[in-house]
Amino acid sequence: MKDALMEKMRKRIEELRKLPGVSNKSIKEVLEENGISRRDFLKWAGALAVTLGLPASFAPVVAEAAEVSDRLPVVWLHLAECTGCSESLIRTDAPSIDDLIFNYINLQYHDTLMAAAGWQAEENYEEALKKFAGRFILCVEGGVPTKDGGEYLTIGPEAETGLEKLKRTAAKAAAVIAVGTCSSFGGIQAAYPNPTGTVGISKVLNKPVINVPGCPPSAKNIVGTIVYRILYGALPPVDNLNRPKWAYGLRIHDLCERRGHFDAGEFVEEFGDAGAMNGFCLYKVGCKGPYTFNNCSRERFNQHTSWPVQAGHGCIGCSEPDFWDAMAPYEEPLADHKFMSVNADATADKVGVTILTLAGVAIVAHAAISAIKPPKE
Amino acid sequence: MKFLKIMGEYLGGIEFSAGYRWQHWIRAISIFALVATGFYLANPFITFANPSPTPTRFLHAEIREWHIIFGFAMIGAVLYKTIYFFFFKEAKYERESIKDAFNIKLAIQQIMYYMLIAKHPHTRGIYNPLQFWAYTMLYVFFYGIIITGLALYAEVYHAGLGGMLYPFAKAVESFFGGLAYVRLWHHIFMWAIIIVVFIHIYMAVYNAVFGKNGGMDAIFSGMKWEKEE
Repeated sequence: MKDALMEKMRKRIEELRKLPGVSNKSIKEVLEENGISRRDFLKWAGALAVTLGLPASFAPVVAEAAEVSDRLPVVWLHLAECTGCSESLIRTDAPSIDDLIFNYINLQYHDTLMAAAGWQAEENYEEALKKFAGRFILCVEGGVPTKDGGEYLTIGPEAETGLEKLKRTAAKAAAVIAVGTCSSFGGIQAAYPNPTGTVGISKVLNKPVINVPGCPPSAKNIVGTIVYRILYGALPPVDNLNRPKWAYGLRIHDLCERRGHFDAGEFVEEFGDAGAMNGFCLYKVGCKGPYTFNNCSRERFNQHTSWPVQAGHGCIGCSEPDFWDAMAPYEEPLADHKFMSVNADATADKVGVTILTLAGVAIVAHAAISAIKPPKE
Repeated sequence: MKFLKIMGEYLGGIEFSAGYRWQHWIRAISIFALVATGFYLANPFITFANPSPTPTRFLHAEIREWHIIFGFAMIGAVLYKTIYFFFFKEAKYERESIKDAFNIKLAIQQIMYYMLIAKHPHTRGIYNPLQFWAYTMLYVFFYGIIITGLALYAEVYHAGLGGMLYPFAKAVESFFGGLAYVRLWHHIFMWAIIIVVFIHIYMAVYNAVFGKNGGMDAIFSGMKWEKEE
């Protein structure tokens, strides 16, 4: 079965290899220019294969898939967002292999990265839609405002709404990937009271959307999803919120390096205390790892260097739907959660204690009156 | 004894079967244990004075264990009581209460009794209308807290029962909009149960003091006494 799968992947890669690539350099040359050896590249491919749930023997196939990634046309739309997802990939001082492959893919249209501007950019966009209709991958960064016909976001000289542009582009795409929490679930734009009616893109499209949430998502999760598409010609298996299972199958909490201290009841009480020095659990200073599905605790960020919990701050649950409201305040546990909505712990505690007090007062009064004037028998 | 005298004629009989009484007390003890451990899990207020760099004293895990043990005890009691209510022969007079529950006149008289201006109405079943609806709501809260609780459980214990419940847990998670909200609703259902329990205890004591028919004793002995009229 393994051989059959490898055979199938090789065939797909061969097909893709026949297509014209956009880059005038091979990935090998690009990597060499950046001081990354073939050995490092294969190590990376092996790691990615394992991350995707394949045996390590698939490393050469994954490497080949990365090599032909410039054949797969990608259109990248920016909607209501901060460009943080793109920026986090491209603004590294020592680009990782993930970053380099991201730069290497056949990016037909990307507001931040493309050289073209103005009318020329518009033309490139229309051209890409025509030329690659039904073949390109659409990556979307940012949520889509829907209130008042979506006019809170207009793009380009024709003032086309983001909503229209998204629908028009997605209709021609072979696959749609939502990059980041905003395009997956709405993100900060969709936070209470959500004045622009922003939603995740899957809410307005009637196509399957793969969500790769995170603020920003790790480079591995973005590139891994694209490489998966190259390898399988299909989108990865997903969980209940359409997130790839290989990346979002477990909670941050499940694989956390501080998990032992959680079970031991050893907590950092405030930042900088003795517990913090001993690397205790950050639950009481607001870690939302127990409610957050992501692979940060395993894959970390910046070439596997570190991640928030290792650096001493709890997870803020940035890859969960509605995290801006659901996870606040970030430096306190959910038990201290205060917000406008009633489904918040601290509010619930207050309302609960108030009702309990009122009931207590009423009970005392009722009992006292009954004692003076007993009920009729 | 001097203070004993003939109090007319009483009618007696088993109101609560042994199974009923057991599930009531298992449920009651579980609720108190779950509230106490639950507040700790939400915000671990007990920590060790002398922190050690190696985690060896698993306090949080232990308290979670008790929370889960009592949780499953409560689930058992709630399921038993639900099946009892719908299917058991002994629950005939409980089911009779459904008819009383929709009797508005009866409900008004019950309120007047509590306002000390009318006599206690005669009900066909063993629960008066207010009592019946309060208990119905209590079971809505019970099932709410059980469903959210099991969803949280399945995310911590991925094998065995947790594994079996995993698809269900994922559906619950989608329904509430993420695990954080599942947890928040679990907390809200807890408060609803606390309030119902608080009033329930007062009503039980009240009926014991003013009912003068050994009503409170029924949940221990099962016996109900009523004056013959």
